[in-house]
Amino acid sequence: MIADPRQAIESPRLQTISELAVAVTVAPWTVRRPAMLADDDILHVVALSSYFGHLNRIADAVAVPLDYTVQITPPHADPAVPAFPPAPEMFARSPAIQLAARPTTHAALEAWKAYVLERDDMPPMLTRADRALIASWVAEWLGDGTSAPSDAATSTATYRSFSDIELLRTLAETVTLAPWQLTDASYAPLRARGFDDAALFDVCVVASTAGVVSRIAVALGALDP
Amino acid sequence: MQSMALPIRGYSESTGMLREIYDRMLQRPLPPVYRPSHGGAPGIIQAHSLDPRLIPMVFGTSSTLNGAGPLTWPERELVNTITSRLNQCFY
Repeated sequence: MIADPRQAIESPRLQTISELAVAVTVAPWTVRRPAMLADDDILHVVALSSYFGHLNRIADAVAVPLDYTVQITPPHADPAVPAFPPAPEMFARSPAIQLAARPTTHAALEAWKAYVLERDDMPPMLTRADRALIASWVAEWLGDGTSAPSDAATSTATYRSFSDIELLRTLAETVTLAPWQLTDASYAPLRARGFDDAALFDVCVVASTAGVVSRIAVALGALDP
Repeated sequence: MQSMALPIRGYSESTGMLREIYDRMLQRPLPPVYRPSHGGAPGIIQAHSLDPRLIPMVFGTSSTLNGAGPLTWPERELVNTITSRLNQCFY
């Protein structure tokens, strides 16, 4: 799976960790309990990989300044690489391992999730209904059936036109399933609809945050009890 | 490198809440992966500058995962490298 031979994995434990990280990143519903890892190791890999995917997505979404002196041309993300597959169905199994078993991470993620998904800003920033709607799409793409669709997501409280909703969905889908494809062109249609930089960033953050939450839920739920 | 997408506001041009948050973040011990050679705020923190209030939320979560076990530092680096490579993020 890793094309670079310099990353040859030497120990079975590292091989197992890397396979788990791949599954979490590409298709969390395919996670299977690795026999040689303890519960808290599995939880750490799942949570860390899900979290790091948020950093990757934000770095893909903005003009990230490199922290090191570039001696050679930095590698380019290849936009031709196809998107991750969406989940084939919604999974709603209770997790065999709870994120609450890692209380500091759980508390921090709950606070982050509340800030991003529960606040209600004035348009063009996202309303609470907009956030819930985006999170419901992300849950669908990642197979997260663990939370019932909120009233906010299914209500008509979002004032947005059908075409605006389609534009939000397209951007959220790129963030979730093909973040390396984010460019100026990804933002242009919503800019034309009055979204400024902060509002566009908000869309990316909502999608990415919901991705962290759903990825953890689906991966932990995919483990055998 | 991707074309300029959403802007960031770095440390030197930051004011108000963003500057306060940068200062708060810079006082915390940072995992080596975030520590930049130029001495300013790490790029990945600056990447969140369009929503300053988000910064302590995200990096508060980070400290529970990147500076802690049970995975060892090399194992955490492995997870992060694999995740980044698959998300095609070379940052």
